[in-house]
Amino acid sequence: MSADYHDHDHPSPWGPHDWGHGAPHNSWSPLVMSIGIGIFLMTFGGLFTFSEFDMWYLPLVIVGIAVIGAGLFVWWRQDMSFDGTYEPMSAGVPFKNIQIRKVGMWVFLMSEMMIFSSLFSTYMRYRQGIPRCDTVFNRGLFDPVTNPDGWQDGVAVTCFEPASHLIASSWWHIAPGAINTFALIISSFTIVQALRWAHKPVGSVDEEVRRKRVYRYLGATTILASLFLTLKMIEWFIGFHVPAIDLIGLHEHEIHSLYSEGYLINNDHYQHHDYVDEATGAHMVANIQVSATLFYVTTGTHGLHVLVGIIGLAYLTFKAWTGAYNPQSAVSIEYFGLYWHFVDLVWVLVFPFFYLY
Amino acid sequence: MSHKIMGIDAYWMNFYGLMILTLIEVLAVGANLGPTAEGIGMTERQITLWILTIIAVPKFIMIAAIFMHLWGENDSGILTLTALFPAFFIIIMVLFIGLTHPDAGIGLPDWCRPGNYGL
Repeated sequence: MSADYHDHDHPSPWGPHDWGHGAPHNSWSPLVMSIGIGIFLMTFGGLFTFSEFDMWYLPLVIVGIAVIGAGLFVWWRQDMSFDGTYEPMSAGVPFKNIQIRKVGMWVFLMSEMMIFSSLFSTYMRYRQGIPRCDTVFNRGLFDPVTNPDGWQDGVAVTCFEPASHLIASSWWHIAPGAINTFALIISSFTIVQALRWAHKPVGSVDEEVRRKRVYRYLGATTILASLFLTLKMIEWFIGFHVPAIDLIGLHEHEIHSLYSEGYLINNDHYQHHDYVDEATGAHMVANIQVSATLFYVTTGTHGLHVLVGIIGLAYLTFKAWTGAYNPQSAVSIEYFGLYWHFVDLVWVLVFPFFYLY
Repeated sequence: MSHKIMGIDAYWMNFYGLMILTLIEVLAVGANLGPTAEGIGMTERQITLWILTIIAVPKFIMIAAIFMHLWGENDSGILTLTALFPAFFIIIMVLFIGLTHPDAGIGLPDWCRPGNYGL
């Protein structure tokens, strides 16, 4: 625990705790939050009754969320000093003398890891349990005598169509995902550089140089994160045009988005141009609801984390621009950086298994 | 962190390594591995999966160890243990949910089906 904690004791219920008595256990905020969670759970359940939406519960749901938010806000306000110099340390085993916020961030990240693990295990289960669409197609046309396992023209067959069948079909198709991978790795690097410059001891670097370096590195991270989401939108919904380049023998063509290719979570009659029997012209149609749902839920959950990261990064960049970061306050960048590296870490697994394989 | 790897700043070294490994990943998917896979008795898809998995593991470790400071700091040991805490639950999910075939009850070999202990 910091030796100067007595300077930061505030009797106000809105201010930081009296840390002189150790870790805070006397806040009434958890009680408020519990009441809020209770209101939310009871009323949220009433919103949908037998698939019917009952809007009368909606105001109470909002009240529940507001009470939870108020409890969280007051708890957060009580526990932080907000002067950028005091960092509460853990006093108990096994995290003694480690910053409480750092430990909290790690515990939070591990709960996040559980979320992504459940998505990955679901993906693995279905990927194993449902035959791939190209495998089903290669069985050939159905014939009751010679090929009873085959597919029939126009009759939807439930199979697993990995997004990689579209995304990894050419270098141009894979380009947005590949650029995104490099963008996230570079952004992980830029945020540690921002931390490094914020951490440099006072006197070892000109403060104006520090300010510029920190906000430029954080700004670069924000831009790279925005690039990630932009390319994801192009890949999912927009597509792009590839111009002709005679020098390398490149023909003009369109790269269609997953949406325009029909790779949708509700598509039970999906058709891929590969799934055509050349001899008869018969089309195999596939129900790809499971595979498309797994792809969009997993990559969408990751994308949501990137979006939250952009909001955090925009705030940090603004603070850095005002010159708020120095060796004492650099921990904010460090803790946010942990979250951002985690987002990168998840992508390290999502990219090969959802985009390439 | 002020560590060095082979005389180069750890952050920069990690950055170079991650970029190279990612490039290998993308190239592995684009390359024609059919003949190689045939030579070792695998399909092209299987060999690609192995390459991607083998590359993803060091990338994961490099980001966690260097960028997330789980290596070389005073609190690295206990925070690494904290990070590994959910590993048990993740293993359960991957092994018993992810890698269990939906038809396992009838598709597994006779000796490991319920009620049939083989020996």
